Amino acid sequence: MFGKLEIFRMAQGLATHAAARQALIAQNVANADTPGYRARDLASFEEAYQTRGDGLRATRAGHGFAADAAWQPPAARDADRPGATAPNGNNVSLEIEMMQAAQVKGDHDRALAIYQKSLDILRASLGRAR
Amino acid sequence: MSDLQNSIAAAASGMRSQATRLRHVSENIANADTPGYRRKLVPFHEMVEAGRATGMVETGPMRLDRSDLPRVYDPSHPLADELGYHDGSNVDLVVEIADAREAQRSYEANLKMFEQARAMSASLIELLRR
Repeated sequence: MFGKLEIFRMAQGLATHAAARQALIAQNVANADTPGYRARDLASFEEAYQTRGDGLRATRAGHGFAADAAWQPPAARDADRPGATAPNGNNVSLEIEMMQAAQVKGDHDRALAIYQKSLDILRASLGRAR
Repeated sequence: MSDLQNSIAAAASGMRSQATRLRHVSENIANADTPGYRRKLVPFHEMVEAGRATGMVETGPMRLDRSDLPRVYDPSHPLADELGYHDGSNVDLVVEIADAREAQRSYEANLKMFEQARAMSASLIELLRR
């Protein structure tokens, strides 16, 4: 009955996506002074969520396995950083990375809050105190 | 979780590299008046494991700045030649200070990424505790 609640899957997807993005941002910041390094980033969660289903495809939604596939963050790609390229070929901008890190933290917190709240609602419907 | 661990590892590698750079900068500044001293340079490159870029950063072997040493006029110096000149060091204090500032700034950015990844994994674990 509670096998696949969309809200939990979406919250899990958002948290996974934020964590994957955080890893890339940390790598960009670590390589902020590496000559020739190109900044990398992920597609936004909205974009990735709409084009998901890269795993198994089902002929009917009722077959289930396609929808059950765990969320996979999209592949990393080179980020577009116009005007940030240094003479040594590095195009990491610490300011942009900091801004994105704040965004990622917000996404992750939001995903966990949604997960937590949905769990509380389930518990309340079972008649248990939190 | 593994993404967050990657992120912590990348931030740690960034801090380690910047600390190495700062160490070389302070060695250069300490030796700014040493006759014949050549300024030390530390190259950064992306860490590669089993042929794949890991996204972490490491410092390569230390190199010496091969630019010409200035000739310093000081006839009373024990190293002075018959004309009263000896080799100075090619350390430029302004360049070193600028380098130190940049290293500090990058170090702080890495530290911020480290703290953020830790906060994210802490809030993830907080979900399990309730």
